[in-house]
Amino acid sequence: MFKELDPILHSQLRLAIMSLLISVKEAEFTFIREKTNATAGNLSVQVQKLKDAGYIEVIKQFKDNYPQTTCKVTPAGLKAFEDYVTALQQYLKV
Amino acid sequence: MANETKFSEQESLQLIAEMIKKAKGSYHDTGIGSLLWGAVVSIASLMSYLQREYDFTLAIDIWWLVFAAIVPQVYISIKEKKNMKAKQYDEDVVNAVWLVFGISIFGLNFYQNIVPVQTERLIAEEGWTMMKHFSDGRPDEAIRPFTPSLSSFYILIYAFPTMVTGMVKKFNPMKIGAIITYGLFILSLFTESKYDMLLGSASALICWFIPGVILRKKYLAQTKPNV
Repeated sequence: MFKELDPILHSQLRLAIMSLLISVKEAEFTFIREKTNATAGNLSVQVQKLKDAGYIEVIKQFKDNYPQTTCKVTPAGLKAFEDYVTALQQYLKV
Repeated sequence: MANETKFSEQESLQLIAEMIKKAKGSYHDTGIGSLLWGAVVSIASLMSYLQREYDFTLAIDIWWLVFAAIVPQVYISIKEKKNMKAKQYDEDVVNAVWLVFGISIFGLNFYQNIVPVQTERLIAEEGWTMMKHFSDGRPDEAIRPFTPSLSSFYILIYAFPTMVTGMVKKFNPMKIGAIITYGLFILSLFTESKYDMLLGSASALICWFIPGVILRKKYLAQTKPNV
């Protein structure tokens, strides 16, 4: 029986954010925006959804008098991502 | 990028692969650190060799240049950290290796300067001296304690962080540089200590300066604006 795909991750932008964050230790919001080509508003909403799901940690601080938002994957996020990829592989039989 | 667009499982996998590739391709070493240390250590080693070979002394110890290079290195590190938008997993490991390397080099330098003086003091306290005795009848000469062929150890230590960085970052010029430097270390075991300085200079060029030039070229090519 196929495992249902996690609806939080089965969204283009949220999956893109998670895939980026899986590859690095942590990344600034501007880095994610640059790589995903998303608008700041849309990205903020999706980042918040991932944060609410407990998949990412969002750190807000000031750097040289400018606000800086840094994101990193949590252990729960890593587990969810692994499960999502496993489920995808089952669907695709790879 | 749309957020709630329906997309297939195949597209999901493609997106994951694409984003991982984008994240990995985002890291560019500026190469400035490698260029700086490669140049400084190479010049200091070469000058040490020239002083021994042509019997002259500079007004200052040329190795202070290496010590002074810490100042621009700290500035470069702070500037690079500020400009970095994503932190890689292997970064802390590589930084730790270079920190340990720096401590080891300074430790070795202290050893080189302190051990002969302390040995001389201990020998004097015990009331004996080290003498050079010639078999051809020339009069004996007193010898001051020294650390024999220590330059070989420096060459060996130069290769260590270079090899680790090359392996972790999958950067072949550093791996090749380290392998050649291990060869120079073996060669230095059979050469006079003044030539070890020359081999040390070559090691710094091969391990850091040449990879630094390659890194710098790559960095400038990747950060060049698309016009």
